[in-house]
Amino acid sequence: MERAMEHLNVQLNRLTRSLRRARTVELPEDSETAVYTLMPMVMADQHRSVSELLLNSKFDVNYAFGRVKRSLLHIAANCGSVECLVLLLKRGANPNYQDISGCTPLHLAARNGQKKCMGRLLEFNADVNICNNEGLTAIHWLAVNGRTELLHDLVQHVSNVDVEDAMGQTALHVACQNGHKTTVLCLLDSGADINRPNVSGATPLYFACSHGQRDTAQILLLRGAKYLPDKNGVTPLDLCVQGGYGETCEILIQHHSRLFQTLIQMTQNEDMKENMLRQVLEYVSQQGDSNYQRILTSLAEVATTNGHKLLSLSSNFEVQTKSFLRIIRIFCHVFCLGPSSPNNGNDMGYNGNKTPRNQVFKPLELLWHSLDEWLVLISTELDKECKDINVSSSGNDITSLLLKKQEADNSVLSETPPLLLDAEGVMKTPEGYTDGQDVVSMIANRLSAVIQAFYMCCSCQMPHGMTSPRFIEFLCKHDEVLKCFVTRNPKIIFNHFHFLVECPELMSRFMHIIKGQPFKDRCEWFYEHLLAGQPDSDMVHRPVNENDILLVHRDALFRSSCEVVSKSSNEKLKQGIAVRFHGEEGMGQGVVREWFDILSNEIINPDYALFTQSADGTTFQPNSNSSVNPDHLNYFRFAGQILGLALYHRQLVNIYFTRSFYKHILGIPVSYQDVSSIDPEYAKNLQWILDNDISDLGLELSFSVETDVFGTMEEVPLKPGGTAIQVTQHNKEEYVQLVTELKMTRAIQPQINAFLQGFHTFILPSLIQLFDEYELELLLSGMPEIDVMDWKRNTEYTSGYDMQEPVIQWFWEVVENLTQEERVLLLQFVTGSSRVPHGGFAFLMGGSGLQKFTIAAVPYTSNILPTSSTCINMLKLPEYPCKDVLRDRLLVALHCGSYGYTMA
Amino acid sequence: MLQMFHADCDGPIISTYHAAMLNLLSVSSVMFECISFPHIRRDFLFKFLVIGSAGSGKSCLLHQFIENKFKQDSNHTIGVEFGSRVVNVGGKTVKLQIWDTAGQERFRSVTRSYYRGAAGALLVYDITSRETYNALTNWLTDARTLASPNIAIILCGNKKDLDADREVTFLEASRFAQENELMFLETSALTGENVEEAFLKCARTILGKIESGELDPERMGSGIQYGDASLRQLRQPRGSAAQTKQQCNC
Repeated sequence: MERAMEHLNVQLNRLTRSLRRARTVELPEDSETAVYTLMPMVMADQHRSVSELLLNSKFDVNYAFGRVKRSLLHIAANCGSVECLVLLLKRGANPNYQDISGCTPLHLAARNGQKKCMGRLLEFNADVNICNNEGLTAIHWLAVNGRTELLHDLVQHVSNVDVEDAMGQTALHVACQNGHKTTVLCLLDSGADINRPNVSGATPLYFACSHGQRDTAQILLLRGAKYLPDKNGVTPLDLCVQGGYGETCEILIQHHSRLFQTLIQMTQNEDMKENMLRQVLEYVSQQGDSNYQRILTSLAEVATTNGHKLLSLSSNFEVQTKSFLRIIRIFCHVFCLGPSSPNNGNDMGYNGNKTPRNQVFKPLELLWHSLDEWLVLISTELDKECKDINVSSSGNDITSLLLKKQEADNSVLSETPPLLLDAEGVMKTPEGYTDGQDVVSMIANRLSAVIQAFYMCCSCQMPHGMTSPRFIEFLCKHDEVLKCFVTRNPKIIFNHFHFLVECPELMSRFMHIIKGQPFKDRCEWFYEHLLAGQPDSDMVHRPVNENDILLVHRDALFRSSCEVVSKSSNEKLKQGIAVRFHGEEGMGQGVVREWFDILSNEIINPDYALFTQSADGTTFQPNSNSSVNPDHLNYFRFAGQILGLALYHRQLVNIYFTRSFYKHILGIPVSYQDVSSIDPEYAKNLQWILDNDISDLGLELSFSVETDVFGTMEEVPLKPGGTAIQVTQHNKEEYVQLVTELKMTRAIQPQINAFLQGFHTFILPSLIQLFDEYELELLLSGMPEIDVMDWKRNTEYTSGYDMQEPVIQWFWEVVENLTQEERVLLLQFVTGSSRVPHGGFAFLMGGSGLQKFTIAAVPYTSNILPTSSTCINMLKLPEYPCKDVLRDRLLVALHCGSYGYTMA
Repeated sequence: MLQMFHADCDGPIISTYHAAMLNLLSVSSVMFECISFPHIRRDFLFKFLVIGSAGSGKSCLLHQFIENKFKQDSNHTIGVEFGSRVVNVGGKTVKLQIWDTAGQERFRSVTRSYYRGAAGALLVYDITSRETYNALTNWLTDARTLASPNIAIILCGNKKDLDADREVTFLEASRFAQENELMFLETSALTGENVEEAFLKCARTILGKIESGELDPERMGSGIQYGDASLRQLRQPRGSAAQTKQQCNC
């Protein structure tokens, strides 16, 4: 009875204790359950509870559990539970017990920097030299994390400080890689091998360089580390350059001066990333004036050699050009940075005014001299060729080579055609360039690349935006040869004559050739230059800074967009646009597209009175009365910015402008035909004056017009003293031009100017000149979708055609098979606009009101092409005998005749 | 990132260490794909010219020197061609950067623009052509005035294999060489005889001049550059004070 009472008391006691401590007070018999009971206590270092529980239990403290088979000692070491750790050790826990990966408690304590635990483990004879399955020891872990203090204590117990892991890496390797300076020093002081290679031959210095650990590399070099490549021949310098670690490179060069030349020579290595190499050279050049001079002079020397190599016909053109231009780019970049002492560019000096800084260009003079001599040589040969057509080809001059070229090349150019006849001379040529290599064209490419470099070097010495007089002089001197180059191979312009874009005066010399190139090529060139100034244009995705997001309100889109755009910097907008609508989550390209789309509709919203619809109902141009809105010029500038920005980022807008307004953007003079977009009747009258002799009509026109200015009629002269000058048959064309300009340009000049001011912040005027007004429309607004069914439904037939005519059936079959682009051409051919009106073909406008697309019959004669009358949207389609002929003729007309009018 | 506290004792402990090492490995694996520079210590780089009248065999000499074979059906050189080879001269590794010029008169102005800064030249004539020999004086004047008065020139009487058609005797040419302080060899680009020797002899002379101090590689336009391996101890560089400071750590 008593015993039972006692038992009950014990149980009750236990129950209260358990309840009071909120845990069990007796360890379960089952080890697995026991260990999970103990683990949280060990983690929290509740050593009293642990001790109590262990006291009367048979639990084996070395019991390994869990997936990685650790003991409680591991847990204590890992978590820094010193008291528990000591308790466990006292109770016989094995300090060197290894878990499934071979880690001892010491490894874990070292990894997590548990100083006290480490100390206690060592007291209990933990072995510091044990490696885990990967060969890592406690000192590796300390070195990785740079726990110098702990390492210092531990290293005295270590038998081999150079102990290697499975990769042959020592603690020194990992400390160097992570740049723990004091750790490195401690290891070196403890006798670590400073030149120890790992399995791939990488030394500590190699590791320091691979991660750009400048100070660590410095320590190693000062302690006499050797400069050694790994087993693949990759050197520490290679690694520094690959990573763009300028500071580390500089340290290497300081200690091994020979590496300077190696670094310079790397510019020739096409596997080196240009931006990284540039970054490194940039840094090194900024370390003092002499470094700056030395780098540039050496780069100039390397560039000169490579330029000369490029002019050797046996070198690989592509490879050598790439390498040469890369060196020149780096050279110019470093030059433009200037020496470290900030000079405000005042010493940049033009020709003649030699300053020490410009001395660095001296080695390149050799190359420019060769370039000059080459061009003179070719010009002499070309001259000779033109003069003695019949004498030619004793075999000792380039003429014979030129001849071959022309034989092979049927597209003979005006400069040299008579030579074709002189085939005899070629036959006699003993030189035997029998492989028919086109030597002049080959050297033309090479010379053009050198010219490109010459321009880069000339212009980097000039203040921004100015063309070097030396280069202009050069270009004028060799004008003829260069024109000959580009006529032969227009691609040269796009590949090498980038100076044209930056210098509109020079561009005009080549404009006719450029304009003759395919639209696609010009587009590529356009975008290449547009983005050329952008740093790291190769980086597509850059993180968006929260501050750079344009936050706009959907319900006040125009005004809020105007506000945010005017607040952001143009440079940021060029780098990328991120838009978010107020209260919406969405971001990204889709939102940007939507923004441009809605915004462009808003810009032409009649409520703002900025743009007015033209007579054809689909296109817009500035409203001459926009000043009802006092802020109108600001808004025009904004509209220009948006259009420029859209073009810059290849976003399409939902606006179509009048021909004349595109011309204004391009800086092309307007013509009287453009008047029809705002006043078709008046345009007809102008046309009439031009078409008829006005001498005896007694029109009594003078060079002035009457305009309604604030309610009173005023005589506005078209030119100074215009009221007194009579319009005659003789000067009527001038009159038409001036009156056109008055109506189309002068009336909206402030608006145009404001718009262009905005537009040109993103798009250089010289760049946009690459295109004509039709192409500009395509660039800005894209290719319109054309619905052939709708077109067919809204077409009328006249002069004998009807729906059932075979010719008409063929016509629509042909149209259905046209590409979207060709359909646009057809539409443009017949209506003068690439646009389908809002609402479809039913709303097609003609010169006076709605005017449906009409097909009229024309009698067939052989080779006759279709023609059109754009003002009445009429296609004059000859009665072709079969579908094939129809298609053929139609396509010829579209591709040759859609631009430019043959006014009927 | 490596200081993560691993309270979860089941967690893979290796991860942090690996994260650090993996980072390195990815860098290295990129590196392994790169063609790195061969680790031959290169002491100097000499700029060489090959000059002489058209058809004397300049390009063939260069071809023989670089490729060790005779260039069949060789054409007239257009402008200037380029070749290079690393040679060992007196224990020094020297890269010869050789510019092979066109001999034809009409290219004269272009080829002349390559002369400046050449350290050495092979002046080539054809022993079977009196005309090419007679032109030597002009070539020599060009080289000495345009390149550098110190340029090391070796006279090469090429086409030695065509002895039967000889128009210029060995004696005559060697006298010319002596009068003009030129080295002299008769060579054959066809058989390769004396070709290597001609280039090496010229390089050796330049090296000698550097060692004796007659040539200063530091001077711009000397046609000599130090290679990867620093030989600056050879002579005290006369560079600026700052440059000297740069070099003294090696």
